[in-house]
Amino acid sequence: MTFSVKRFMAIFQKDLKDLYRNMYVSSTALMPIVFAVIYSRVGEVPLAMYLFVITLSLALVGTFLQCAIIAEEKEKNTLRGLMLSPATLTEILAGKSAVTIVITVIVTAVSMLIMGFSFAGSGWLIAGIVLSLIFFIALGTWMGLITRSVMEASVYILPVMFIFGMANMFIGLVDQFSFLQVLEYTPGIQLEEIAKLGDAGAGFDELWKPFAIIGAWVAAMLVLASVTFKKRMMD
Amino acid sequence: MQEVFGVENMIEVKSLEKIFGDKQALHDVSFQVKKGETFGFLGPSGSGKTTTIKILTGQMRQSAGTANVFGVPVSKLNTPEYRKRFGVVTDNSGLYARLTIYDNLKLYTDLYDVSLQRIDEALEAVNLGSEKKTQVSKLSKGMTQRVLLARTLLHNPELLFLDEPTSALDPANSKHIHNGLKELNRQGTTIFLTTHDMEEADHLCSQVAFLNKGVVQLLDEPKQLKKQYREEIIGIELKDGRELELPLKASSAEEIQQYISREMVERIYTKEPTLGDIFVEVTGRELV
Repeated sequence: MTFSVKRFMAIFQKDLKDLYRNMYVSSTALMPIVFAVIYSRVGEVPLAMYLFVITLSLALVGTFLQCAIIAEEKEKNTLRGLMLSPATLTEILAGKSAVTIVITVIVTAVSMLIMGFSFAGSGWLIAGIVLSLIFFIALGTWMGLITRSVMEASVYILPVMFIFGMANMFIGLVDQFSFLQVLEYTPGIQLEEIAKLGDAGAGFDELWKPFAIIGAWVAAMLVLASVTFKKRMMD
Repeated sequence: MQEVFGVENMIEVKSLEKIFGDKQALHDVSFQVKKGETFGFLGPSGSGKTTTIKILTGQMRQSAGTANVFGVPVSKLNTPEYRKRFGVVTDNSGLYARLTIYDNLKLYTDLYDVSLQRIDEALEAVNLGSEKKTQVSKLSKGMTQRVLLARTLLHNPELLFLDEPTSALDPANSKHIHNGLKELNRQGTTIFLTTHDMEEADHLCSQVAFLNKGVVQLLDEPKQLKKQYREEIIGIELKDGRELELPLKASSAEEIQQYISREMVERIYTKEPTLGDIFVEVTGRELV
């Protein structure tokens, strides 16, 4: 299988330029920064709050942006043009994902900067965020493939936001609503676990479990996204 | 990659069938398109033209039968090497509305690895040379259609699939596009054209197939078809306003000679049917 850097870059640059002019999607992607500004004025910010904003960035930017980019290509019948060009499936998805990755990283980094969080000495957490980002982008790709328009994507993103983006906030209600226990297995809560264990100086013998849970989400979502893409390639 | 040089037929379709649920869209469709030919696939809306293009370009799988393009099964066309060799414009092709015409085409020059100079050449071919900085959202439907056509011309494809390419264009721009397609064909590009514009087919195509309800009902050169379906009648319009129809036979010569010698004739004509007339006669359907 071939991979052309030129074709990958062409799709990346086109999506970046197009996104820059798409006020609806780009302003939604800036929401985590708004939350970061608000929380930075609260005073002492607990670890859970940092993780909430990080997870929100991953869900709102990583998933929604990817979903919106793909849904719009379908809505405007431009995805078919790309698929009939020499660009391979890998190049198309890599180009789009690269845009999402760059913007997610920027939004997350700026949000943490505003909240005064330092990633220094947080190697495990960074590794967990990178792994989670793959999950959130695969989730966005899958959602983009099953939705028909950006408007529909905006509706579909809501449950994703509540389940995956705000799990770190809702988990506090688990004593009142026991069904929320299921949120313990979401990547956001696992990231918080990684951050706590990392701060306590734990090694991989203790950290493997949250990584394995996030890894399982990644594997499941990659399979789902690629199976859906292959099905949607054909009419 | 399979060797394909020397393949005489660009497209070979044999006993092609397509079934959607309980509806059969294509029935036993067979035809060949030779290298350098402009082949017209003619039929009304819903006759199966777009389904055929989708199968031939690897966007849809056939239910039965074989379809080869460049001498290989269409299922093997999904490689960058083959995709560089053909181009497609369908009625649902889209452009990036927030970007300019130039940015839209630049993306495709990179994807096809051709020089940026091709943008100007392709836009000139569709009469949009001065519009490249215009944002696509500001274009009319006809202009959008021309940009899509320009995008398909960027990489000088060996084989061009055009699904109703001038359906949204005014006569002047249709003529410009027709001339461009003729020039392209002269340079060696094979064109597979679907249309329900019979004049367009007559003007451009060296061979046409009539598709009706998924069945190819007739396949021949337009000239041959018109000859075959020509009414054997000579029409004479006289200066006094009368119109006469005489059989196209030697026995009519004397009568015609008399009208001419008496200087009574305004014009003499043969009754040649249009492709549209032939389509209606063969299928019993109008081309809409």
